[in-house]
Amino acid sequence: MTPAHAASIRLRHALHHSRPGQMALLAAFWIAGEAVVRLTGLPLPGGIVGLVLLLGLLATHRISLCSLRKGANWFLAEMLLFFVPAVLAVLNYPQMLGLLGLKILAVILGGTVAVMTVTAMTVELASRRRMRHAA
Amino acid sequence: MQPDPWLATVFWSSLTIAFYLLAKRLYRHWPRWWLMPLALTPALLIAVVLAIHASYRDYIHGAGWLLALLGPATVAFAVPIYEQRALIRREWPVLALGMVAGSLTAVGTSWMLATALGLDGTLRLSLLPRSISTPFAMQVSQDIGGVPDLTAVFVVLTGVLGAILGEVLLSWLPVRSALARGALFAIGAHGAGTARATQLGREEGSIAGLLMVLVGLLNVLAATLIAALLHS
Repeated sequence: MTPAHAASIRLRHALHHSRPGQMALLAAFWIAGEAVVRLTGLPLPGGIVGLVLLLGLLATHRISLCSLRKGANWFLAEMLLFFVPAVLAVLNYPQMLGLLGLKILAVILGGTVAVMTVTAMTVELASRRRMRHAA
Repeated sequence: MQPDPWLATVFWSSLTIAFYLLAKRLYRHWPRWWLMPLALTPALLIAVVLAIHASYRDYIHGAGWLLALLGPATVAFAVPIYEQRALIRREWPVLALGMVAGSLTAVGTSWMLATALGLDGTLRLSLLPRSISTPFAMQVSQDIGGVPDLTAVFVVLTGVLGAILGEVLLSWLPVRSALARGALFAIGAHGAGTARATQLGREEGSIAGLLMVLVGLLNVLAATLIAALLHS
């Protein structure tokens, strides 16, 4: 075993146990995605490009789930925190507190009920049909 | 007097994180909709901003870096997607059908309801992508000529209301499969819905996580295509 190979194994082993290390690795994929977007002018968020890059590496077994799972679970569990500053933008639109806000609320409520009903019924009926055909 | 930018960053960031942790703890003990971290944390922060006569600019200069963490959080979805690859391979026609039906309904009903209530222009456009998660929605909003900031607010409102509405709808609708229950939350209420679906069960949660990303991607691709067609 060459020294470089041994070092790489030790590094991987350390990564399997380090949540901050895994978080840094995920951030590196995001930065790489941003770089790709900037260089190619792709009309996608950098995070999505990073996600596709990472899926490619997972699918070809260049990277294992063990070196990411802890970091990924942390990001997914705390994701709501990262949305919070976006909500504060409502401060820029004081006119939303009046009638306009009520109208917007009505659009959101009505639209969401429709989307949820249509989606759930479509998936439910389609999967029942498939199961009957398979049986 | 201009406050020290470092101090402002520390102040607004730690306040945001502290309120978030508080809301999370309260919600775990009392799962009421108005204690949901995504509802309570911004409400408390807005109260502080107004109380000390600060502005959105002050706040976002201090705590805006948290938004950037949505980038690595998006990358993190590779893990649940990869873990569920067998399910995706087996159920992709059903899931694809649900995503297309849900997205068309989202855009169609938003447009019709907004028009019926006399909302138009950039406001109506900003309402269209509100069912998908924030990074995707802001991208779509920009592509179709909406205001990404405004869309972010609508996305969050949809998430909070959707997580509550989803519960009610599940008790009315005859849906039994985990596939349909997960899809209802993911396509109707993105991240907040997915968090709710995770509490229903493991399978519901992973389906919701997967669909949330895929439906976001689908919408970004569709909007890019439409924008390219309109400008050509």
